Amino acid sequence: MILNDVVCPFCGCLCDDLELEVEGDRVVRVQNGCSLAEATFMNDTRLPAPIRRTTTGWEKISYDEAIKETADILKDADRPLLYGWSSTHGEAQSVGVHIAERIGAVIDNTSTVCHGPSILAIQEVGHPGCTLGQVKNRADVIIYWGCNPIEAHPRHMSRYTTFATGFFVPDAQRERTVIVVDTRRNDTANIADEFLQMEPGGDYAVLSALRAIVRGKESIIPKKVAGISKEQLIRVANICKNAKFGAIFFGLGLTMSRGKYKNVRNAIELTDELSRHTKFVISPMRGHGNVYGSNEVFTWMTGYPFAVDFARGIAFYNPGETTAVDILRRGECDAALIVASDPGANFPRVAAAHLAKIPTVLIDPHVNATTALSRIHIPCTAAGIDAAGTAYRMDGVPIRMKKVIERGYPDDAEILKKIYDRLNGEMGS
Amino acid sequence: MGQSLIWYLKEFARIEWIKKFLFAKTAPLVTPSYFRGFPEPTGKICQNALFCMMVCPAPGAIEVVHDEDGWIPRIHKGHCIRCGFCVEACPNGILKSGRILETKEREGTSLLFSFRIAIDLELCTGCGNCCTACPVNKVIDAQMGAGGHSSNDEVIMRVQEGDIVVIHEDKCTGCKTCEVSCPTGAIRIARILEGYQQPVQEESQ
Repeated sequence: MILNDVVCPFCGCLCDDLELEVEGDRVVRVQNGCSLAEATFMNDTRLPAPIRRTTTGWEKISYDEAIKETADILKDADRPLLYGWSSTHGEAQSVGVHIAERIGAVIDNTSTVCHGPSILAIQEVGHPGCTLGQVKNRADVIIYWGCNPIEAHPRHMSRYTTFATGFFVPDAQRERTVIVVDTRRNDTANIADEFLQMEPGGDYAVLSALRAIVRGKESIIPKKVAGISKEQLIRVANICKNAKFGAIFFGLGLTMSRGKYKNVRNAIELTDELSRHTKFVISPMRGHGNVYGSNEVFTWMTGYPFAVDFARGIAFYNPGETTAVDILRRGECDAALIVASDPGANFPRVAAAHLAKIPTVLIDPHVNATTALSRIHIPCTAAGIDAAGTAYRMDGVPIRMKKVIERGYPDDAEILKKIYDRLNGEMGS
Repeated sequence: MGQSLIWYLKEFARIEWIKKFLFAKTAPLVTPSYFRGFPEPTGKICQNALFCMMVCPAPGAIEVVHDEDGWIPRIHKGHCIRCGFCVEACPNGILKSGRILETKEREGTSLLFSFRIAIDLELCTGCGNCCTACPVNKVIDAQMGAGGHSSNDEVIMRVQEGDIVVIHEDKCTGCKTCEVSCPTGAIRIARILEGYQQPVQEESQ
């Protein structure tokens, strides 16, 4: 059977034009998707049944048993942490927030270790952004700052930016100027018109220098700023000022290097400065398929986008204190429920070590590095493959992911609902 | 002293030497009869096949430009080495040089281009930049140009199973847009030049 317009749930691009050939419970062919999309659908090796750690290894348990034990762990915990959420759909995320509220937990999503600083900057100075459709149809200058879309979001350039024919840019790549800013020559830089190679940690200085040039204060710029010559900075500033419509996309090179959210704030203020000359927009390159969705769901349910602490009975948000890494690093957390993510592979060693010490339950379709730190691993459906649900693209557009096959796993929203019901029953609703 | 100065002038300030020194002339440059001239237009209309540019071994010697009357090949004489390959390669007989064009027409010889698209699957990320950028693909399927997806089997190449798959190599015009659009260097276009001879039909008796 051939399915059209399938949404790839892997990265923040959420390409919704895939053509899949499906045989029974297997995807046999993926058309139009990049190699990441192909691997997402084709190499989908699941954990067959829930498992529990024993003193010597693992034992298989039933779903009911796994749900009961998870509920007991969460019920008995003083400071539970519910972390992850970014690879599942909004429906599961909202049940997660209900659980957090019910048990007074801290709920955090993966943006805490990726675009959290972008959110902090946006909370300070706002987000002059737009949808990717606007960029595709209007932008004639594209800036990739501290990101490498060719490896992380392979279709970003062909689907939304550089190479796609736009309504107002019919000659696509000939009319568009691509500027890449990074600390090393990455693959995207190979096809850029301008490549600014700066010294690590120089983002803030380079952004400030560009702001000064755009303001007409180029005389105060030294000969070199973080390894980039003044001439190149002036040239780039002029390209930006003469653009009809410019779009800046930034990645973790900006958010997770020295300066963190101040870098992003500076980038947004550069966008503001450029918008006095022409139209400029800025957007983060969100990683997980539905990480934007987890921010959206958390925000409309609690008022805060990540790192929400319900210990006081009300939502409390203080990044640096209520963020997952900090709670784990301080050893505060005494039980963790990890959903649809892999902190074992991405967290600092001390935080991962604490996860291994406390009872950790993982709800994820695949065996990953966090399985090695967990007490229980409950396999579930993978959103966008064998479960339908809503996800938010990196520009904030909600897209309904399709269910393309049936593999007989329970939906993670369903598992979480059962945990929630059990907690309600035992703790009194 | 005085005697030796007179002797010196007598010996060396000879009138014919001075005349020769002042009025010396280099022989005028004459193109030998066995040299062919620079390519010249024959007056036929250029079809913008660009074979001349592709075959030219001298960098910057020929470029096809667009003026008010349409496309024309422009020869930069400082770069041209007068090899005559452009005359031989042009499928439409736009250029002539010496007797190359007549010989070519008489003997039915031609230089033909074909293109091979080579894809390194190890390097290909399936990003679709090449098939979206390809000007031939854009004409065949507007959807391909608009966002890199296509269900059309008429395109030169498209992304299938996470990699680029070449469907119609024969439609490639060798422009190499894909090559410069590929960030990982996974796609390479080889231009293959082959000499052909189509025997001219002798008039039936």
